[in-house]
Amino acid sequence: MERIYHSVIEALIFSSDDVISPAEILRAVKGIDGEDTQITTGEIDEVIDLLNKNYEEQNLSFRILRIANGYLFATTKDYSKYVGYLSSEKSKRRLSQAALETLSIIAYRQPITKPEIEAIRGVNSDYILNTLLEKNLINISGRAESVGRPLLYTTTDEFLKYFGLNKLIDLPKPREIEEIMNDEDFIEQKRKIMMNSLEDSMENEISHDENADQT
Amino acid sequence: MYKIKLDHFEGPLDLLLFFIKRDELNIYDIPISSITKEFLDYVNLMKMLDLEVAGDFILMASTLMHIKVRMLLPREVDEKGEEIDPRAELVKALLEYKRYKEMSDDLAYMESNTRKISFRGNFSADEKIAVPEYEILLKNVTVFDLAKAFKRIIDEVKEEPIHQIKKINVTIDEQIEYILNLIETNVEVHFLSLVEKMKEKIRIIVTFIALLELVKAGRIKIKGSTDFNDFLLMKGDE
Repeated sequence: MERIYHSVIEALIFSSDDVISPAEILRAVKGIDGEDTQITTGEIDEVIDLLNKNYEEQNLSFRILRIANGYLFATTKDYSKYVGYLSSEKSKRRLSQAALETLSIIAYRQPITKPEIEAIRGVNSDYILNTLLEKNLINISGRAESVGRPLLYTTTDEFLKYFGLNKLIDLPKPREIEEIMNDEDFIEQKRKIMMNSLEDSMENEISHDENADQT
Repeated sequence: MYKIKLDHFEGPLDLLLFFIKRDELNIYDIPISSITKEFLDYVNLMKMLDLEVAGDFILMASTLMHIKVRMLLPREVDEKGEEIDPRAELVKALLEYKRYKEMSDDLAYMESNTRKISFRGNFSADEKIAVPEYEILLKNVTVFDLAKAFKRIIDEVKEEPIHQIKKINVTIDEQIEYILNLIETNVEVHFLSLVEKMKEKIRIIVTFIALLELVKAGRIKIKGSTDFNDFLLMKGDE
């Protein structure tokens, strides 16, 4: 790939009003310079790293982020106070605990129906699902084949953007039940139970042996 | 009036997890009797404070009492002959819920991180109204330029298109009459020739409805024609 494309890629990302995908960048380059232009999405991704390294070396206030399967310019955290002071966008309220809980269930188990969500949370989730739909963090992707054909919910690109994620697999993995079981306080508790039951069975065996001796 | 602040719980599972953590209980060996009591105390407290007790809490209270009763009865046995712990399902639900609750903490952390950065975008807000530069605007402008500009604007103003709506007087009764007359004079009538000369869509539709009425009443009969899109009409049997 020719070096000129570093600037082309930068210009395309800079001028885009939302996340721009590698495919779109490719389309623009090939649309202008011909289909046989030597450039791949992998190379584009490498350029992003180069550009960001440049910005860092020059101590610039922004970077290109990988968000929702594409690229987007964003200010660095160092200036959050100043930027936030003027921007009404940031005064938006944070998500409630209930919203975060519901989102984490949907994100990990999608597509998922309302009854399944409610079974995990143990509470009615009508209101919270509507709020999340309104905020465009989730959407309805279809209907389940199960009885009553309930609606299926999935997370959106807006969800990825909101949490600064590139892909769903970048989500932190929920701890497996086994892992929670291996938690220190649980191990301690488990050890106690094990010991107790071990003692029980040993006592049983002893009394068994005693019985055997007697007969 | 006193104001008492209650810890906010997302639901009954959250409350149970709170008890378990606070009292350092073993989640696999929950003392059902004492935790049921605590749970009910909390629900009663909610009632006392005139808080609306959600049905979910009531449901959990009854589930807990059900488990408590089953704990007193001889244990049921599964296919493998192992004793079933009446608490097993509750434990599973608690662990499952705990898992996502933990993940929501991760999400909250990511949320606060993302809030620290601002994405480029929001272009409509970026748009600034350009300050007109009067000097440039007024350079070399003569009266003729103004007149020319005025004429261009006048020419460009298009006339509002006027749509006239004509009312077409056609009734089903009229069309019935029309069809019957045609069939009286000609033995067989092609449907297409019936509507051929009609220009308005509504007239054709009304004629067709009239036709259906006649067929229904048995006053005319319909026969398929060799032409795929056409059919023949003739007098009915009555």
